[in-house]
Amino acid sequence: MIKITNLEKYYKTEEVQTIALNKLSFEVKEGEFAAIMGPSGCGKSTLLNILGMLDDPDGGSYLFNGIEVAGYNERKRAQLRKHNIGFVFQSFNLIDELSVFENVELPLIYTGVKPAERKERVHAVLEKMQIMHRRKHFPQQLSGGQQQRVAVARAVVNNPKIILADEPTGNLDSSNGNEVMDLLTELNEAGTTIIMVTHSEHDAKFSHRIIRMLDGQKVTENVLV
Amino acid sequence: MIKNYFKIAFRYLLKNKLYSFLNILGLALDIAAFVIIILNVSYERSYDKFDGSEQVFRIYMDYKEGGNFVPGDAQTYNLTGPTLKKEFPEIIEQVRLYRLEKVTFVNGEKVIQQPNGSLADESYFRIFDNPLISGNLKDFEKPNTLILTSTLAEKLFGKDQAVGKNLSIFDGSSTPMEVVGVIKDIPQNTHFKTNYLISYSTINTWNRMGSNGKPNWNRNNFFTYVKVASNTDIASLQKKITGSDFEKNPHERHNIEAISDIHLHSNKPYEAEANGSNSRVSFLSAIAFIILILSWLNYVNLATAKSLERSKEVGIRKVAGAQRSQLVFQSLGESLLLNLFALLLAIGLVYLMLPLFNRFVGKELFLGLSNLTIILPFLGFILLGTLLSGLYPAMVISGFMPIRALKGKVIASRSGINIRKGLIGLQFFATAVLIIGTLVVSQQIQFLRAQPLGVNLDQIVALNGEILEKQDDSLMGEKASVLESELLQLPFVDGVTQAKTYPGDGYDNLSSTVGITFPDGIERERQLFYLYGAKSNYFDVMNLNFIAGKGYAPVLAGIRNFDIVLNETFARIMGFTDPSEIIGKTVKFWGESFRVSGVIADYHHFGLKNKIEPLIIGNLYWAYGGSMDNVLVKMKAIGLSSIDKNLVQIKQKWKDVFPQSTFNYTFLDKKFEAQYLEDTKFGVAFQLFTGLAIFIAGLGLFGLTSYTILQRKKEIGIRRVSGASVLQIFTLLNKDFLKLVGFSFILAVPIAWYVMEKWLQEFAYQTKLSWWIFILAGTAAFAVAVISVSFQAIKAAIANPVKSLRTE
Repeated sequence: MIKITNLEKYYKTEEVQTIALNKLSFEVKEGEFAAIMGPSGCGKSTLLNILGMLDDPDGGSYLFNGIEVAGYNERKRAQLRKHNIGFVFQSFNLIDELSVFENVELPLIYTGVKPAERKERVHAVLEKMQIMHRRKHFPQQLSGGQQQRVAVARAVVNNPKIILADEPTGNLDSSNGNEVMDLLTELNEAGTTIIMVTHSEHDAKFSHRIIRMLDGQKVTENVLV
Repeated sequence: MIKNYFKIAFRYLLKNKLYSFLNILGLALDIAAFVIIILNVSYERSYDKFDGSEQVFRIYMDYKEGGNFVPGDAQTYNLTGPTLKKEFPEIIEQVRLYRLEKVTFVNGEKVIQQPNGSLADESYFRIFDNPLISGNLKDFEKPNTLILTSTLAEKLFGKDQAVGKNLSIFDGSSTPMEVVGVIKDIPQNTHFKTNYLISYSTINTWNRMGSNGKPNWNRNNFFTYVKVASNTDIASLQKKITGSDFEKNPHERHNIEAISDIHLHSNKPYEAEANGSNSRVSFLSAIAFIILILSWLNYVNLATAKSLERSKEVGIRKVAGAQRSQLVFQSLGESLLLNLFALLLAIGLVYLMLPLFNRFVGKELFLGLSNLTIILPFLGFILLGTLLSGLYPAMVISGFMPIRALKGKVIASRSGINIRKGLIGLQFFATAVLIIGTLVVSQQIQFLRAQPLGVNLDQIVALNGEILEKQDDSLMGEKASVLESELLQLPFVDGVTQAKTYPGDGYDNLSSTVGITFPDGIERERQLFYLYGAKSNYFDVMNLNFIAGKGYAPVLAGIRNFDIVLNETFARIMGFTDPSEIIGKTVKFWGESFRVSGVIADYHHFGLKNKIEPLIIGNLYWAYGGSMDNVLVKMKAIGLSSIDKNLVQIKQKWKDVFPQSTFNYTFLDKKFEAQYLEDTKFGVAFQLFTGLAIFIAGLGLFGLTSYTILQRKKEIGIRRVSGASVLQIFTLLNKDFLKLVGFSFILAVPIAWYVMEKWLQEFAYQTKLSWWIFILAGTAAFAVAVISVSFQAIKAAIANPVKSLRTE
């Protein structure tokens, strides 16, 4: 599904060049649940952004479903992104001015789904996430766990092939955190590929494989199942 | 998708109430101001445009002044029209109009005084688009026939058919008239307001007309309008007309001007009414556009500043698959929505403010379906501006990198900041120009008011009216003297006199004469001067100052008196720098010899827009047939409260002496002041619009500050933690903006100087552009800047630095 080879990313200021990703290579197969761990500043989030086509690499190759996307421009990346990738963030990233329903509906709007179908699909995913009763509420009216469930609902409403989760439990207490992890596991079991960045060993245990990073390089890989 | 855009735009507007309110209100006020100014300007430009008006021209007189011809008189001779028509085949019609300032109509018990009428050739109806709605034009060739507007017809005859009815006109004696036609009311946007027309042939049957009917090249008391063939080359016709000399007088010539140019471009002596001013109209249009453009610049600034707060939303949308074009459309949609609200509010404001504005400018402007065409092109302009002003913030907001946007780490580019600084600079530049302009205009008006007029008009009231009984001249004079002594007995009356006209009365009752023999015995054929009659005590009552000699002695009615008083200017023109030397000398005009008995210091008979003209005042009873027209009553300095009561007593005295008469009164100082009315109104409008511009500029700076402070939040936090005081932070934030304002101000000064210098040249008496105006304007601009910046700078400076650092 995803194959990166010698991926590089630099951050440049006027005089200093910082290497964020240093010839990083690995592969994630379809249906896999991979966790990426490492200390702050090791390049986890940079990697996730490149995988999510929110950012572009400075070198190396990124094959997405066998297609080289490393040189894609923003337009093409957006096109590929909206049909294939769902995002879950630590800070939920919901739009405050939109209701739960409207937040979840957003990706469907941008992929051009008709209103009637949108309603059906949003309702289905809200049912599944058990927040149907909150669909008319606004983000500020929800608890953190509920907000993250809305964010997950938004990530999956388009039936993406892959979900990228950036510390999805980082802002949640343990019981809400477990609920979210259960949700991700369920999605994975239903066939969605998941790549998750986390600091938590506990959360990492839900995955099939843990990739550990340091200074922009892969140091170890532990297969859990 | 569109629904989603609007939904979020709505909620966003509701959530940010202050921002939305400021933005919408600002835009609405500006659009409303723009629309009102445009309505006003297009009304001013709509004068005398009727079906066929492009073929209609007015003939006027040029007089030679120092070797050059200058426009000298709006009126021409009674031979002008017929002669030009005969000589120049391009001229297919001509009409002569002898204007009547005021006529008293008597229909049985009904007595109605009406202004704005004329004696007119029946060709009037082939030139002007005011057709008869009833009656027969053929009858209008007969003398003593009359055509009324429908309003006047109804006033005189009620709902009855007016055509065929008889009435009389009273002016010392009664003249019968037959109504032969009714026309629709003539729209107000003409320089030649008309309520009634009297047939031209009446000129020979009506006493009041004297010898005016005799064809001659001596008395230019007639307005002449001509209609030219449709394909006429006007430039060559003008050449022919200015080159002709039918009156055999090398010191004057006839000239021609388009009728639609008169209102804004003509300001000759003896106009039918005080015309408008093209420079005022241009000034106002310029201000209208400046205001609108300022408000858009402002919108760009506020919206861009505000967009930073929405970077997270943009990030989420991008992550959810939005393309840049979609975000641009969303942003444009929002500005369209905001502008739509503003436009709706503006229309409401226009309807609300128009009646006030109308009362203020004395017009009947309206906004409706019928004049939508005036506004429509501008509506396109407004929409285009909206689109353009929405585009910049849209491009900025949609250009955020999604990852940075999500983290709220959007940093404005240097060039972006510079663009916004440039916009603010431009706003302050325009504001500074407007502030300077306002100050100059009000200083000039103050200056005019403060000028010594050379005459004291306080507490003087002019009485006049139409005496509706047949009187002979000597009896009238006697009665007027009775009225004088009766009025003097009132305890609050200080003095009473009689005069044909008075300062501030304009040209209405003033005679102008060309040709006079100076004391050196040489006749100056082309010397123009003005004269009017007044009783001997006029100089006392008006507080006119003799610099040499004295006034003339009172004379018994019926005896001709040839003593006259000159003003200083005329004495100087006659070559007497020492005015005392001219006393007792003789001048000749009107075929008579006059003795100079005194010279008065110059006073302003016209407003201060005009320079002082050579003037003669004499006891010209014999020339006016017994009546001086105005009884001037000087009242003792008293409280305003008693003025009404005093007027009642004065009116009673008038009615006692002239039981069958109308009665009018005018306060001289008010009437004089009225000459500056247009300029005063212009000044007020200028102030209003400048206030608006200042408000917008302040708003813009407010927006930019909030933007910059957001950008520098971390810097402020670190500086505070490192020990910077609140004052130091405050100064830091203000410094940049003040530099900007200072720079714009320096640019504004020479431009404002140039423009206002030009405006001042319209006045014969001008104030100096003093340095303090510029200092004051600069201070005002800085004050506005400091206030708009400080509101947020203080907030940022005293905010807890820990908070701003934590969000990083």
